[in-house]
Amino acid sequence: MSQPPSPPPAHAFAHIVDDDEAIRDALGWLFRTRNVASKAWPSAEEFLAAWKPDWRGCIVLDIRMREMSGLECFDALLERGNILPIIFLTGHGDVPMAVGALKKGAFDFLEKPFDDNALVDVVIRALESDARHQASKETQATVAALLTQLTPREHEVMQLVLAGKFNKVIADELNISMRTVEVHRSRVFEKMGVRSAVELAQLLAPGRD
Amino acid sequence: MILTPLPIPTPAPPPRWYWSLPYAAVALFIATMATLLWLTHRQDAEEQRATLINDVLWMEQNLSFQFERNNALLTQLGPALLAHKSAEANSTTEARIKRALDPESGMNRLLWLDRNGAVKGAEPPYTDSHLVGEASGTFPSSAAYRLSHALGRPVYSDAYSVIDNQTQFEVHVPIFEGGHYLGSIVGVYAINDMLARQVPWWFAERYRVSVSNNLGVEIAARSKVSPLSTLAYEIPFEPPGHGLNLHITAYKSEIRWIPLLLMGSLGILAAAIVWSLWQLRRHMQRRHLAEQALGSEHAFRKAMEDSLNTGMRARDMQGRITYVNPAFCRMVGWSAEELVGLLPPMPYWAPESLERTFEVHTMILDGNAPPQGVEIRLMRRDGERFDALLIEAPLIDANGRQIGWMGSMVDVTEQKRTRELARQQQERLQATARLVTMGEMASTLAHELNQPLAAISSYNTGCLNMIEHGALSTAELTGILQKIGKQAQRAAQIIRRVYAFVRRSEPKFETVDIDAVIREAVGLVEPDAERRGVAIDLDLTEPLPPVLADPVMIEQVAINLIRNGMDAMTDTPLAERRLQLSTCEHDGMLVFSVADRGKGIPPDVAEKLFAPFFTTKEEGMGMGLNICRSIAELHRGRLGFESRPGGGTIFNFSLPVTPP
Repeated sequence: MSQPPSPPPAHAFAHIVDDDEAIRDALGWLFRTRNVASKAWPSAEEFLAAWKPDWRGCIVLDIRMREMSGLECFDALLERGNILPIIFLTGHGDVPMAVGALKKGAFDFLEKPFDDNALVDVVIRALESDARHQASKETQATVAALLTQLTPREHEVMQLVLAGKFNKVIADELNISMRTVEVHRSRVFEKMGVRSAVELAQLLAPGRD
Repeated sequence: MILTPLPIPTPAPPPRWYWSLPYAAVALFIATMATLLWLTHRQDAEEQRATLINDVLWMEQNLSFQFERNNALLTQLGPALLAHKSAEANSTTEARIKRALDPESGMNRLLWLDRNGAVKGAEPPYTDSHLVGEASGTFPSSAAYRLSHALGRPVYSDAYSVIDNQTQFEVHVPIFEGGHYLGSIVGVYAINDMLARQVPWWFAERYRVSVSNNLGVEIAARSKVSPLSTLAYEIPFEPPGHGLNLHITAYKSEIRWIPLLLMGSLGILAAAIVWSLWQLRRHMQRRHLAEQALGSEHAFRKAMEDSLNTGMRARDMQGRITYVNPAFCRMVGWSAEELVGLLPPMPYWAPESLERTFEVHTMILDGNAPPQGVEIRLMRRDGERFDALLIEAPLIDANGRQIGWMGSMVDVTEQKRTRELARQQQERLQATARLVTMGEMASTLAHELNQPLAAISSYNTGCLNMIEHGALSTAELTGILQKIGKQAQRAAQIIRRVYAFVRRSEPKFETVDIDAVIREAVGLVEPDAERRGVAIDLDLTEPLPPVLADPVMIEQVAINLIRNGMDAMTDTPLAERRLQLSTCEHDGMLVFSVADRGKGIPPDVAEKLFAPFFTTKEEGMGMGLNICRSIAELHRGRLGFESRPGGGTIFNFSLPVTPP
């Protein structure tokens, strides 16, 4: 074990969906030894019944199960708008199916028999990815809240600032005095909690990781 | 001999008038003959009539002469009878009277009257014939007397009846002497008598002569009992005249047989001709119909024969070809002219299987041909070989005698090839199915086994992780180790299950004749061997002691070893592709050996030869020899191999002999 365990977010779980009790138990034990909190589900149906959109963490899904298969479960989750990363566990011969799933947005797949710690590593990466995703979602929500505080004039000024225009040009365009532009500008910065135009641009830049 | 296809000449159908010709000829013949006969008959009738007329005229003439003569006689008598007062006459007169009353003259009485009409005398003086109507004054005599006196020449009186149903008439001859009328001599004629006397016998024989008066009433006749013909002639009876008619009717002459016979035989002959002609025609018609039926039947057969894809050939009892159909010629490439008359060996017999073909030939000629046919390999003219199915049946002639054999031949090369292809396909399919099943089983097995193994692995890794952090309590470790143990048990359980499944196909031992099993196996692979050009030589020791074995498994081994042997000789020249199968008993073991002429087995291959999934073939699964060895071991036998002297490999499969 070379990699030091990086603690995942406290309220995130690795959901193990497998119909084999021994596997569930063994994986649960394995994850615990790497400080990964897990929840085990004996079937895809039970997991889907319990699933909530605000869950955090990741899903470890066995492809070959007695009732609903892992792939069917995956499709059902996609339909419901699941954003948790999904890791498939495949047997021999299921690889093409797993690759198909990967193309549809699965996080990763591991072919049995797998290196157990490699699985844990993938799970941890998935948890981190989920955490980052959640964080960015939260930032976006904050920015949106901040933007609602701006007056229409401040909004106009902000757009022009983001377009990289000087105060003088903005004043001309909006047909107001340069002084007024400066006042608006400083109020935008204040309201958005940024110190410069660069920070503002970073805050509002789309497609952030 | 039979069956050289005879081209039946189809005669042109006769024209319509063809059959009416003989009828017309017969009709013409009959008509001509009838006309001829009619003409003859008519001529005959004419002749008869002419004869009749002649005869009648002659008769009339004769009568006239007689009357003339009588008148002359009376005239001579007159002066003598009338001149003398006395009735005594001289002898001349006596003779004359006698002559006048001669029956030949026709007169039966003479009267001589004086110039006053009184009767001077009569000869004979009295008669029995009383005159009818003598007293009534109608007696015609006085009129005749007066008339004769007046005319001065003989006058005949009217006819008058007398009793006895007689009719008479008289002739009054006036007698003059020196211009003085002396009186008259009267001759009385009785017509009946006259007819009887004056008509000659030959005339009476031929004709009925009758006299009728002016009323048409017959007053006298000379006739006989004989039928009358229609031929008749009537002339006035003159003299005496007075409306008397002489009526001559011919008797029916006796039947004239010759023309009748001629006519009859002619009719019968004509009828016979027509009848026979009709019969002939009917016969011809029937024959024509039969011919037509035969012709159409022949055409039907011929078309059938020509359209057949099946080759037909007939042979006589010596095996000489007597007939072949077009399909047969097409099949072998020789023409019918070339083939007919040939004796075996035939040119289309493949030289390499000449022996077997001869065997089949002899078998057929001996009458032992199997009803389902024999398959033999034949050769076309261009040397191409083909397989034919030959079915023979005895050829029986119209008298029920067997005169040869009729054989039908079907080219089964394509069929055989198709069959072979289908078999291969089937085999490949089965192999694939086996592979799929095995893959399925392997996959299931892998998944089943993966589960506990994955669990064990995960527990294990977890433990290692904990140990690395140094945070593993003994209690925790014990729990995990127990879990690991349980999963290991689970894996073992799965393995046991698989084993139990495999054990279900255990051998079923029974007493087996290995030679029979090998023959059966050879039978199964023979088509394959033939296709690959491999000859299988059997060198079996018989009888072999029986062994306890599973026949299906032993056959499996035999087939496997034979197939391997054939596979090994794929690159061997065709002539050397011989697989030798032999059995022998050696040291309490039955040994079945398969010796090929392949390239032999290199040492690196030899090591792995019996390992499962090892194969040198593209399509192989590598299980054949492995299974064979397993079967050998199941039977407490051995499977081994050795190099064959002269190239190739010998596989030996040995089984222990069952102790008695």
